[in-house]
Amino acid sequence: MARPLWSGSLSFGLVNVPVVLYSAVRDRSVRFNQLHEPDGSPIETRRMCAHEQREVPWEEIAKGYELDDGRWVLLSDADLDSAAPRKSHTIDIESFVEEREIDPLYLDRPYLLVAESESAARAYALLGEAMRRSGKVALGRFVLRAKEHLVSIRPRGEMLTLTTMRFHDEVRVSAEIADEIDAAATPTHEQIENAMAIIEELEVQFDPTRYRDEHRAHLERIIKRKQKGQKISVPVADESKPPAPTAPDLMGALEQSLARIRGENASKKKGKKTRTSERDADRSGSGSPRA
Amino acid sequence: MPRSLWNGTIAFGLVRVPVKLHSATESKRIPLRERHATDGAAIEHRRICAKEDREIPYSEIVKGFEVSSGSFVVLSKEEIAAADGSGAHVVEIEHFVNGEQIDPVYYERAYYLSPGKFGDESYRMLHAALKRSGRVGIGRFVFHNKAHLVAVRALEDVIAMHTMRFADEIVPESEFEIVTPQKDPSKLEVDTAQLLVSQLDSSFEPDAYNDTYREAVMQLIERKARGEAIEAPESQQVAPTGDLLSALRASLEQHDGARRPGADGSPDGSHSSGRVVGKRSRTRGGH
Repeated sequence: MARPLWSGSLSFGLVNVPVVLYSAVRDRSVRFNQLHEPDGSPIETRRMCAHEQREVPWEEIAKGYELDDGRWVLLSDADLDSAAPRKSHTIDIESFVEEREIDPLYLDRPYLLVAESESAARAYALLGEAMRRSGKVALGRFVLRAKEHLVSIRPRGEMLTLTTMRFHDEVRVSAEIADEIDAAATPTHEQIENAMAIIEELEVQFDPTRYRDEHRAHLERIIKRKQKGQKISVPVADESKPPAPTAPDLMGALEQSLARIRGENASKKKGKKTRTSERDADRSGSGSPRA
Repeated sequence: MPRSLWNGTIAFGLVRVPVKLHSATESKRIPLRERHATDGAAIEHRRICAKEDREIPYSEIVKGFEVSSGSFVVLSKEEIAAADGSGAHVVEIEHFVNGEQIDPVYYERAYYLSPGKFGDESYRMLHAALKRSGRVGIGRFVFHNKAHLVAVRALEDVIAMHTMRFADEIVPESEFEIVTPQKDPSKLEVDTAQLLVSQLDSSFEPDAYNDTYREAVMQLIERKARGEAIEAPESQQVAPTGDLLSALRASLEQHDGARRPGADGSPDGSHSSGRVVGKRSRTRGGH
């Protein structure tokens, strides 16, 4: 089991629930170590004091903030705690909202909350049950790793998950992007209808287990082959230009896509092997049939 | 206009939508660096060969994957890059799903898309189709030498794209020892807790929340720069609530008729003193 990242109190009205926080995600990417090429021995990263030229133990590391005049202000963990003593140790639930009101743009990292003790477990279960019944998620705030976080807390299975969220000034205003869009380039009603028809044909239930990290799997295969002493063929970099824009024949691409997807879906239903009709490819025009 | 991070194409069916990628977020974290506590000097991270005990220049460093304890397979940059795939700048949409089915734990980083060259019409078409259908496109693309699962969805005025976590990156609940209470909460307790939930019922208004800690730390830095001493905060150990029902009832009374929480949230260090006005009192804390 992973190590806890934080421990403190989850506070709901006057009810305090001592909890510990764990990450709800783990990095599964292939980890490489740095090695010294001639002797293959591992490289260690050491923290050295630039002034004394000696290695510095963890206890002697402070956080520094550079002032405009180049001076540094050093802050200890206790100093940082004193900036917001309550928030550093307590997640105060401030309100409850409908989950769908929270736009995913605000979501940052997910964590899991675990009751610290048997006596805390009852209040923990109570909060989860009250949220499940009302269908709401809790909003609160606390300080983790020298940063204040707005958080949402929701029941998930038997546990409570906590997701750190971005403050409104950490989410860019989309109007800057919207201003870039050419207002004169209006799609036709028919184009939109066709695009919606494609969306409908390609609709499935969201099943996250359907998607594998192919890049990771590929890298793992390369490592295995290399371990067996096999040569790895390095592909020539494909610096190909992005496919030609479809602007001249958007409607054609839409119609062909629909015909093709409907054809595939129909043959899937019949249990036959999926085949792309040659006729579709002939008509493809500027839309490169790479899908 | 923010600079674009990537230029490419969204592909669904045979339709190609040229797009540019922009970050939708920016961190407002106070930039703190590691310094040596005793003399304030900079901390340098040096790469030392464990065997020879000397600093190693970057040119002599290679990447190795540990296949068993202490035994490494060395891969060249090119060999690692071989896993990157074709390098085509395409977000290939595989499916469309109902956005409400996506557990929030899967969302990773958020981006905005803007139309690429000659892409305005198809961009607006995709935006309208996503918005009207309420569906989210699920696809893949390679960015920064990593394959990402992405969700493409319509906001009010633009298309947003999120990188998504893979299912095996989510820690399963079974890995945790869940502490179960000896006695389940009573119906009365749950009902009372639900009352408190509805009393705190609110709608999510992102603007109502400001990072007050950031300001507090900046004030702390100013005080330290002037040479002021910072008092250590009192211990914040909190005991679990014993009598749940009476704590819930007291909470209900406390919130009854009181100002809605939100905007500034509960002040640091005290639950009852209302708004903290003075600058100093906030950084002093503890009370």
